[in-house]
Amino acid sequence: MLCEPLREVLRSGRSEFNAQFAHARRLYPELDGDAFARFVERTLDPWVRATHAVRPDRVADVAMAGYEVGLELVGQRIAGPSARHAVVEHGLVHVLPRAAAIAAEDPALAIAALSNALHELAITAGARPGEWIAALDRAVPSAGDLQTLLAVGQVAAWRAGLAHYRKSALRVAAGLPEALALSALGAAAGPGFAELHAALERDPWFSPDGDASVPRVAGVCGGFRGFGGPFVEPPRLARADGELLVKSGDDAWLLSADAFGATLHRATPEELALASEPKPERDALGLIEQLTLPAAGAVTSAIRNGTTLAVTSAWSHAVVLIAVGADA
Amino acid sequence: MALSDLFRRVSSAPTNPHAPAGKRSFDVADLYRGPIADRRASAPGEVALDEKLRQAYFWIVNTAIISPHYDIEYNQAQPLSFVLGDSKSRLTLPSAQSYSSFVLLPLLTFATRRKCLFIGGPGRGKTASALLMGVLAGYPVREVRRAMQHGHPQMTIADLLGNPLPADLIGAQKMEDIRIAWRSWLSMRVKIVDEYNRIPTRTQSALLTVMGDNYAEVLGHIYECPESAWYLTANDDQGGGTYQVIEALRDRIDVVVQALAFNSRFLADLLARIEENVRPEEVVPRQIVFSEAEIDRLQDEIRAVEIGREVRRRLEFFASQFEFCELAAEQFEYKTKDTVRLAGAEWHTVTARDTGRDRLKDLGCQTLNGLSVRALMTLFHYAKALAYFRGNRTVALEDVRQILPFVLHEKLSADADAPFFDAPGGAVYRTDRIGWLRKLFDASSAEYDRLDLDRDDPVAALADELRLGLGGVSESEVRARLTRIERLIGEWSKGKKLYGHLYDDLLQLKYMHQRYTNYLRWLETQ
Repeated sequence: MLCEPLREVLRSGRSEFNAQFAHARRLYPELDGDAFARFVERTLDPWVRATHAVRPDRVADVAMAGYEVGLELVGQRIAGPSARHAVVEHGLVHVLPRAAAIAAEDPALAIAALSNALHELAITAGARPGEWIAALDRAVPSAGDLQTLLAVGQVAAWRAGLAHYRKSALRVAAGLPEALALSALGAAAGPGFAELHAALERDPWFSPDGDASVPRVAGVCGGFRGFGGPFVEPPRLARADGELLVKSGDDAWLLSADAFGATLHRATPEELALASEPKPERDALGLIEQLTLPAAGAVTSAIRNGTTLAVTSAWSHAVVLIAVGADA
Repeated sequence: MALSDLFRRVSSAPTNPHAPAGKRSFDVADLYRGPIADRRASAPGEVALDEKLRQAYFWIVNTAIISPHYDIEYNQAQPLSFVLGDSKSRLTLPSAQSYSSFVLLPLLTFATRRKCLFIGGPGRGKTASALLMGVLAGYPVREVRRAMQHGHPQMTIADLLGNPLPADLIGAQKMEDIRIAWRSWLSMRVKIVDEYNRIPTRTQSALLTVMGDNYAEVLGHIYECPESAWYLTANDDQGGGTYQVIEALRDRIDVVVQALAFNSRFLADLLARIEENVRPEEVVPRQIVFSEAEIDRLQDEIRAVEIGREVRRRLEFFASQFEFCELAAEQFEYKTKDTVRLAGAEWHTVTARDTGRDRLKDLGCQTLNGLSVRALMTLFHYAKALAYFRGNRTVALEDVRQILPFVLHEKLSADADAPFFDAPGGAVYRTDRIGWLRKLFDASSAEYDRLDLDRDDPVAALADELRLGLGGVSESEVRARLTRIERLIGEWSKGKKLYGHLYDDLLQLKYMHQRYTNYLRWLETQ
């Protein structure tokens, strides 16, 4: 049963909403009426209820924004019962009502931005959308406005596994109030922000709450395509313009990795043209011997890039990431 | 939230993704971009203008104008192509982002503030397209509609430009005292003249002044118009309107774009507009509306796009094919088609005497005229604009190849009696002017490659030397250069047939020879 404020808005613009649905169905032929009704009931209704409690003057805008974006979400199967990633709608249901006062500033921006962020986290292998939702949840009481909350979300997304955003997320963190920045970086207590920021900038494998020993196996990424991973055959590493590339079959990816995650991005032809595959260095092999790698077979490639040593092996579709100290 | 907002969706940037020029960087701002349309209002200057222009293009093709004709084809890999029908028609599936000329050309005209003529049968969206350009410039739809000039046989100069105030006409003692009520359209940055070929000849002359010189004159009073983009429409560009379009007015038009036939497979889209009561021009998203300052900046940025030497040389080679007419005159400089035209001689009587050359191979034999300076400058403008639109800062040869037919559509006249059009497969080009012009450019490029002019171009080498200046060049060096020029001309005179490109090269050699001769004379007096 929908709440009265939402029913009121839907009643007042009935023909317009129906026409909007009809137009959306033209754009997304798979858009299902029942699925959309469920979205309205499960996701939009709690948001409108929460808004009505804190900003009753914004109820109509929230309802209209939620309805419009909901059509896009359900039409593209990002939300609704047949959604490809249930976590997107779960995140909206969780965050929007809690952030109702903040989201009421610009409800269309709020729901669109949160949906896109949740979608990226959901489709990125190894990312942890649950952590991101929790970080936003923590930030809501002290964020104050929507822009600040979204900035916290950017930092938290990096920390939730989107390693490629590391540099720009650190820049965003530097612009946040200290308490919020510390919370977004997962360091509510401990060193001051400036110290933490400097440590994070210095070493990608530094984590406020993590293991600091080196060398250590800090992560594993990749996997066989048949099991949902990206690689058709055991990968090999290459270096291109100071970056790590991973090659498998005819494909290649740029690897971004740090203490919070590892992401792979299709390499451009320009990056591939610069790629070289150096033989494993004696020092690197020495470091590998000190550890037990979670990958079977002989080492096929090993490249050190700053404080990261990436390793591949003959019988594995994974790339093992070893944190090595700056002076190792 | 209005239903029309669904029509206001603008394509997400980047609309034509390019590989990053340097090292790849990731921006966490992208976290909030994704499958759900971005609701953030862009701050002025936040979106690059070329991106904004592409967003405008994609909004028009996706929402406003139903034009599923991708006739400006780009490829990044060998495209798939199929041969169909008895006439062996070729259908190509481009492998890179390709465009509809009917939308792209008006948009490039908007960005460069030039002049575009829409041709095609009635009811094909010519006027609607022009109207959209007015809205993109920030004018309300109603204002654009009211400012549109509709050509008709009774149209007077006063209808077009403005009237003297009646009270002043009676009371004024001298002409300066008569005030003129200028028509509001003259002050607009987008000017639309519908069915311009229905305007009487005398009024066309007044229109020519506004189009060509950017001012209007009534009773000795002058109104200076702002720089603007012009859109003219005609149901028939061959002078088939009520009045013959005067030659000078025709010449002022920079590009001609044909409104292609409606594809009946898209009838459902028309139906949706009726059912949802949406007029695209009334729901133009504000993100794609350009301010005056932005259009100024667009022009500056387009002008800054580079045309490299390789592309320029091919264009020079192409342009040199057409003006030359060996039998037009005795003196070398006058051996041009323009000499024949000015003499009023019949073209076929001249071509009948032309027996020495292979008239099928010589591209110059396919046209009745050469290229004007105005046409070449327009070609540069639009080639730069197309490259800019595609997100590049250097013009590629393909940009020139794609834009050239639309610029030269009215500028290069085909000689329908030329042997090329009677050769197998040639007859179709009598009606397909776009295809003919593109084929002409391809043939010129192939000839350029055959002559290996990118690597072996002695005239260019000599010109580069001269371009460095004559200051400090010694007498012996000047004599050596003169000898090189004379030797080159001597080599070419040995049994080589004269073609347009050789004619231009020879005239340049003569020019350089004269510069060196004068300089040598001066050196000798020192």
